[in-house]
Amino acid sequence: MALTQVSSNKCAGGFQKVFEHDSTELKCKMKFAVYLPPKAETDKCPVMYWLSGLTCTEQNFITKAGSQLAAAEHGIIVVAPDTSPRGCNIEGEDESWDFGAGAGFYVDATQDPWKSNYRMYSYITEELPKLIIANFPTNPDRMSICGHSMGGHGALICALKNPGKYKAVSAFAPICNPIQCPWGQKAFSGYLGPDKSTWEPYDATVLAASYSGPQLDILIDQGRDDQFLSAGQLLPDNLISTCSEKKIPVVFRLQPGYDHSYFFIYSFMNDHIKHHAKYLNA
Amino acid sequence: NLQNQLQGKVAEMENFAGHLEEIFLTVEENFGRQEQNLEQHYNEVLQTLSQRYDDGASALQEEKKKKLESLYAQLLLCGQALDRSKDLIETAQEVHRNQDRRLFLKVMKSFLSGFLINTRVQPVLLERTPLADLSDVKTMMDSINVVPAPSAPVINPQTPNSASQTSLRVCWSLFSDDTVEFYELYYRPVLEEPPADSSIPSPPVVRQRDSSSCPEAALIRWESGNANPVDSYTVELREAGSDGAAESMVAVPACQCLVQLQAGRRYLVSVRAVNIGGPSDRSDVITVSTTGTFFHLLEDTAHPCLSISEDGFSVFYGDEELPISAMALDDTTFTRCVAVLGDLIPVRGRHYWEVEVDEDTEFRVGVAYEDTERNSYLGTNRTSWCMRHIRTPSRHKYEFLHDGWSPDLRITVHPVRVGVALDYERGTLSFFNADLEQNLHTFHCRFQAYVLPCFSLDNPGALTVHNGSGAPEHVFAITFY
Repeated sequence: MALTQVSSNKCAGGFQKVFEHDSTELKCKMKFAVYLPPKAETDKCPVMYWLSGLTCTEQNFITKAGSQLAAAEHGIIVVAPDTSPRGCNIEGEDESWDFGAGAGFYVDATQDPWKSNYRMYSYITEELPKLIIANFPTNPDRMSICGHSMGGHGALICALKNPGKYKAVSAFAPICNPIQCPWGQKAFSGYLGPDKSTWEPYDATVLAASYSGPQLDILIDQGRDDQFLSAGQLLPDNLISTCSEKKIPVVFRLQPGYDHSYFFIYSFMNDHIKHHAKYLNA
Repeated sequence: NLQNQLQGKVAEMENFAGHLEEIFLTVEENFGRQEQNLEQHYNEVLQTLSQRYDDGASALQEEKKKKLESLYAQLLLCGQALDRSKDLIETAQEVHRNQDRRLFLKVMKSFLSGFLINTRVQPVLLERTPLADLSDVKTMMDSINVVPAPSAPVINPQTPNSASQTSLRVCWSLFSDDTVEFYELYYRPVLEEPPADSSIPSPPVVRQRDSSSCPEAALIRWESGNANPVDSYTVELREAGSDGAAESMVAVPACQCLVQLQAGRRYLVSVRAVNIGGPSDRSDVITVSTTGTFFHLLEDTAHPCLSISEDGFSVFYGDEELPISAMALDDTTFTRCVAVLGDLIPVRGRHYWEVEVDEDTEFRVGVAYEDTERNSYLGTNRTSWCMRHIRTPSRHKYEFLHDGWSPDLRITVHPVRVGVALDYERGTLSFFNADLEQNLHTFHCRFQAYVLPCFSLDNPGALTVHNGSGAPEHVFAITFY
């Protein structure tokens, strides 16, 4: 479990670092970003995991989302991994921007040629937390998860599939019902095969319908002028319906004028970190 | 531990440095003022001296002119006299040549007398010009270093809360330009004989329902209880269950008193009216508690269709139509929105209360300025902020209204107990699903004046207000979005 530091920049009183390691789940070298707030110099801190969307690496979030000031203020370590295994030399992995490299969809693939490397679900829920706990001053039972678009889908399914593991969950413009939208259908048929029953365990709307576990409190922000919302890729209404029926507490905010970009994420990042801090620091 | 000690020391040092800085600034200011004073003084002296010089110089000029003119006039006269004399001499010589001795003597006699008269020179007196009066300049120079006596302080009128049976607090103000070394306070008791026919007043009427409180303070209100005006009131309070002495606030001028208290306690309060005959008996005792924010509903503001329960904390909007005679025509009641205001204590701290509703109750709850428009709906103007619940056959809709605008949100679990948290300092009004401790929405607004809780029912239904217990920890623990 050796980590190599790739970069370190002082930021908001703490440090924004990037590390590289050999991943056992993904069988390749993986980078991830870690923000250490000033509090981490003297105390253990809770950890918020951020999952990025299609085409992103570990760089987009740390340079564009504006999370460091709020993370420093609330004493939270923020971990932002990459969005898929890299450099695996799988044929076709670079062909599309919404499938393969940069589009891991946070599932454990069962189909060739993906099943050996494309195990982002296990990487995020098992391997990465163990690595973080072993190498940084963390509170092992205080973690939360958050993400954007494909990463929002990732955050929601990780929380719903692991009741009690994450103390807080929130998302920006998440893909709420992948089995019903073009992105999800393309990715799941590629990674999981044609049998749709194997897709359901990775769909937040389906998981919400059968969720049982500690009470959740989900915050979702969605830009009203998001082109992917109007293109039917995100489908938040389906998730809201199901959560209303199943009494899963959600506050869903439709933000006028905002699109799908990091400018939108930046605008509401403070609110999300405060939401996480409420539960991580309780 | 060591780290805390060191941190403590650092804080002390910072404090000390802060003090030094303050002293530095004050000294700088004081010296600046002294320099200004000195400059001003000397300027005045210089101006006076310059003025005197001008006066003296022009006086000298005047004199010079006068004397020169008079001398010149005399010179002219002399010249004329000389000319005349020359003529006479010629005449005399001619006469002498004529050898008429008698004529010659006559001419000589008139010549001599004329000469004598006309050649008397006016003496020119050189007067000494008096020095200008410089005594006032001397006085000015002497006064430069003298500190002027300060102006008389102004004693503030006695405020309520400032006296007990054995002590009195006196406040006064000083002028900032004065230098003061110390004050001398003089006092003597004033004994007045009450007039023979005075009687003590009746005790005031204090009702539990008229008071409100919060963790830091309580507002006690009462009715005079006397037909004639009284001089003042004395409010007495004691912590319930303790043996501590009662505190009294004397010289309360009006029928209300805002008292600062300690959080988390219960107090027993009573009031006496005082006039020249002495204090009345004690009024009924009411209990005031500071465990949370506590208020009653202002029944005067309730829309006629809204009825209030016996205990004063539930409101109902019934189906029945009220007779026209029941429609109040005064301008404190709501006339369209079936609403009522609450009597929140005017203290700029943190306040929390909860509102219990049903699945289907269509309500608006929030806060409004005391003078909010009574003929408009809560949230549709700039003087009110509220959470609104709308029930459609298929779902629940929520709005967070202010000035007619609401963000666009969906909430999946309908709150049946809404928590409302008002924080004047942070400028926030937050709404919660109190059962889930879930934050729903926060308004950010620096409230310009005190606000009052407001409640309304948009359709027949009921709601109940719960207050007086402290806010759960999560409410004010963190600044909400």
